[in-house]
Amino acid sequence: MSKVKITVDGRVIEADDGALLIEVLLANGVDIPHFCYHEALGPDGNCRMCMVKLQGAKRPQIACDTFVCDGMEVSLKDPEIRTTVQRILELELINHPIDCPTCDQAGECRLQDYYMEYGLYDSSFENYQKIHHAKHTDLGSNVMLDQERCVLCARCTRFTSNITKTNELGIIGRGDEAHVSTMPGKTLDNPYAMNIIDLCPVGALTSRDFRFARRVWFLGSAPSVCHGCDRGCNITIDHDRPKNGTETIYRFRPRKNERINGHFICDAGRLSYREHNENRQLQIIREGQSIGREEALEAFEQMIGSQKRIMILADANLYNEDLRAIKWYAKEIGALLFVPLESYRDESFGDDWLRSSMRAANARGVENMGINREVSGGYDIDVLINFNHPTPHMIAAGEFIEFQTHQSTNADLIFPLAMFSEYGGTLTNRDNITQDCMQAVNPSGMSLSAQEWVKLLPRRS
Amino acid sequence: MIRDVRIVSSRFGLANSHRLSTVLMRGAYDSLPIHLKRPPEQIVRAVDESGLRGKGGGGAPAGEKWKLMPRNSDTPSYLVVNCDESEPGTFKDREIITRDPHLLIEGMILTSYAIGANHAYIYIRGEYKSFELILRRAVDEAYEAGFLGRDIAGSGFDLDITIHRGGGAYICGEKSALLESLEGKRGHPRLKPKGKEPEWYFGAPALVNNVETIASVPYIVMNGARCYRQFGTAQSPGTLLFSLSGHIERPGIYEAEFGVSMMEYIERFGGGVKGKKKLKGVIPGGISTPILTAEEAARATLDYESLRTLGSSLGTGGMIVLSSEADMHGVLKNILGFYRHESCGQCTPCREGTSWSDQIASRMLRGEATMKDLDKLLELADTMNGKTICVFAPAVSGVILSIIDKFRDEFTERLRP
Amino acid sequence: MSFAFSPENLGKIEKLRSRYPSPKALTLPLLWLVQEQEGYIPGEAFDAIAEITTWSPMDIYKSASFYTMLRFEPAGKYHIKICRSLSCTLCGQAMLYRHLREKLGIKAGETTADGRFTIERVECLGSCGTAPAMQINDIYYEELNTLKLDTILENLP
Ligand SMILES: Cc1cc2nc3c(=O)[nH]c(=O)nc-3n(C[C@H](O)[C@H](O)[C@H](O)COP(=O)(O)O)c2cc1C
Ligand code: SF4
Ligand code: SF4
Ligand code: SF4
Ligand code: FES
Ligand code: FES
Repeated sequence: MSKVKITVDGRVIEADDGALLIEVLLANGVDIPHFCYHEALGPDGNCRMCMVKLQGAKRPQIACDTFVCDGMEVSLKDPEIRTTVQRILELELINHPIDCPTCDQAGECRLQDYYMEYGLYDSSFENYQKIHHAKHTDLGSNVMLDQERCVLCARCTRFTSNITKTNELGIIGRGDEAHVSTMPGKTLDNPYAMNIIDLCPVGALTSRDFRFARRVWFLGSAPSVCHGCDRGCNITIDHDRPKNGTETIYRFRPRKNERINGHFICDAGRLSYREHNENRQLQIIREGQSIGREEALEAFEQMIGSQKRIMILADANLYNEDLRAIKWYAKEIGALLFVPLESYRDESFGDDWLRSSMRAANARGVENMGINREVSGGYDIDVLINFNHPTPHMIAAGEFIEFQTHQSTNADLIFPLAMFSEYGGTLTNRDNITQDCMQAVNPSGMSLSAQEWVKLLPRRS
Repeated sequence: MIRDVRIVSSRFGLANSHRLSTVLMRGAYDSLPIHLKRPPEQIVRAVDESGLRGKGGGGAPAGEKWKLMPRNSDTPSYLVVNCDESEPGTFKDREIITRDPHLLIEGMILTSYAIGANHAYIYIRGEYKSFELILRRAVDEAYEAGFLGRDIAGSGFDLDITIHRGGGAYICGEKSALLESLEGKRGHPRLKPKGKEPEWYFGAPALVNNVETIASVPYIVMNGARCYRQFGTAQSPGTLLFSLSGHIERPGIYEAEFGVSMMEYIERFGGGVKGKKKLKGVIPGGISTPILTAEEAARATLDYESLRTLGSSLGTGGMIVLSSEADMHGVLKNILGFYRHESCGQCTPCREGTSWSDQIASRMLRGEATMKDLDKLLELADTMNGKTICVFAPAVSGVILSIIDKFRDEFTERLRP
Repeated sequence: MSFAFSPENLGKIEKLRSRYPSPKALTLPLLWLVQEQEGYIPGEAFDAIAEITTWSPMDIYKSASFYTMLRFEPAGKYHIKICRSLSCTLCGQAMLYRHLREKLGIKAGETTADGRFTIERVECLGSCGTAPAMQINDIYYEELNTLKLDTILENLP
């Protein structure tokens, strides 16, 4: 495609000939107001917020329905455009309660941003009778709708009609009675539904899960990768770091990656953040008693002895770095190493979009490392060491040592294991793309990552 | 003096003019045996040269639109006749479909032949159910007589006509909304194309014309462009079924050539303002056209150019006459109530703008408004102009501005301090 | 509750199919058939229409809710639609409406307790030349005045 040059308020920008103007502007960091356009959904032209002045055009034009050509002169700062956008924004707001202080979306609401940007704080709608709409509708799938906050941009409805093709949402009614709705008696019900919360440019759609949990500006965030299956969807982990008290993970949000998940993640992956906060194993435990690290490592050494037959199981969700360390350790102590993948297979989970039936984030990494992925034949085992693999009981062994993230089996000796949000590492997804995950919070309790435990573990004498 | 010219309404006066048996001896379908054997381009050329302008409100030259239809393409083309007629003050298409439906059908056959369409639709507003039955019967008659269906009048040309009933939505008269509706969707106007192209129906090229536009085609084809041009003005050739309603002695539709004096028309056909009251203003072509004061009406002639010069437009030619009885607060509130109800709600300035302006008009009517409200109304009118997907909102804007501007004293008088 | 097209309507639908390049275009014709058959459009009909048109049920619901003549609830036996647009207003529709309201004891949007009458105020009916106008079901009544209105109502079966 040939390149052209356009000017935007005096700045020269190079773009593909015929590209959509709003895309060019956004790609070049120009802050053009918009509600209905979204990269994943395309233009719809309904909000009329993306007005620009085009040299030679009589009237303001919308950037989401303008294609660039060479020499195009665009202005957003033109006074007429500023006024137009300000007035349209005022109309978006007219039926909108000014309740930012109590709105969940505050801090990540485009309406609020523009409201500030376009200085509308003193616009008064005195004498105006707001059109009242339902305030708290439970759409299903953890999504709450506040119709009074809705600007009818149709992002949510286009998501269900064009992306998931599940068609639960639509704009019903006409004119100022138009509103977002499900079918009578039906609910929003698809495995990706909660993405519309991120798509909604205002606070009309909120997560029942996250509502009022935390004001967004108190949150820190770290880029990571979902561990719900081997798709490797990119996420942002939102968490808080209180001065004292435990760190908490508040939510997972999709992080754009065109090669893998586009702008979206599935709800199961999104809600899997809960696992980081619940029922975690925080202590080292032997026979029901909490013990110290030194004591535990000594006990470990005794248990593995010098002649015993040892098998190690590892979780296919562990980072490549963890697996490499475990593999090295298994060789050091002459143990068998297995990462049985069958335990993760869930055919009911997979679909033809993101969700994959291999519900282990690093199954491909395991394969690449040449680790045995199947336990075939009977093994006569004295000691089983399990690094968080979900089904250790498939192996019968005299003694059982487990590194676990969550309180689960009654092993003879239990070490707490950090979760992926608590340290960094890499994962290799089903398409053999290796991706980084960053640490979001500190390991909880006495937990350490698998690689760190391995460093501490004694060899055989 | 207004000449008596009847191009579309020539058979309206006959008893049972809607029946094929009546009109068959009065020239109906006479054009087919001759013109369906001649090259279709000739019909396009005749219509183009006649200067026929769309009679649905916009006045776009019909020939220009016809020429956009692809010739000899593999995909089918369609003719869609717009009988959604919902603009307050307009009731002319209704007269055609009930009083000479065969004229419309004949026009559709010629038009379809000219643009290469083998299927034509009539999109008729839902409220017109009882008129639709008359039209349906005429279509059935035409099928039976071999004017529709296969090999029409031995020409080898096939055409089907399907009548499609709307569901009650003014905006479906807008051509792209009409096509959306015909495709089974909500009647949302489409974003306008960047260049000149036909309309699209399921991805196939489609021509949308008003009932009266199509009903004018048989005359032009039979008598030639020059004949059509002997009526009307150079830029607004031919005739229109102008209509009168409101404060008028004899409301109704009366065909006249373009260019006649508005007041003369009102006197001659309408018998003047009702009760011999003083004329206050005229809304010239359906409520979406800016109002004229009595003084402006006196200068107006009934053609596109004159009304444009007066800052209004000819619209559908449906004049609404207002006498000194008319309260402009009531008029404004009434009109804005209509727009609020009929906005498709797709784009923000229109959805919220019509809603808000209607509220302000209510307050002004009740004497509760202040100057601030009036200013807000004018500001809203400005915001609705030229920033929306279709021209619905700009029309609202023009209506508000003209009414407030021309009757400002009446409005300021009732404002609270 | 369930909905099914009558055998007669199923026949009509088969004929309609050949009139359109896509079954999607059948949305409005089918919505009308449902309303004629049931007097309104029950929620259950969306699925039936969706299946024939190949739209999703939501698409049908969205469309149906756009058109003001389509109802999701039954109306009275006589559905009076009185025009409130400009020409009729200039010719006195407000007085007619008031008369109607007093006579039937209901407001616009309501149905009489005996289910006989529903009043609705509608926009221009295309009878501006014969204003004021109204419809009872699909029949037009024009050039109305209160006297004429009384006679019309009295003569309804
Ligand atoms: C809001 C709106 C309503 C319209 N309603 C009608 C209508 O009821 N009938 C009609 O023929 N044209 C109507 N039009 C004009 C159509 O968009 C279109 O221009 C016309 O049908 C083309 O036919 P013509 O060129 O023969 O007039 C309307 C336009 C707008 C913007
Ligand atoms: S709920 Fe949000 S995403 Fe959906 S239409 Fe309203 S503003 Fe847009
Ligand atoms: S598809 Fe898999 S990786 Fe993506 S969000 Fe869902 S569970 Fe996580
Ligand atoms: S201007 Fe009004 S009627 Fe036209 S598309 Fe926008 S909202 Fe719909
Ligand atoms: S982003 Fe362009 S109109 Fe909404
Ligand atoms: S205004 Fe009542 S029918 Fe047109």
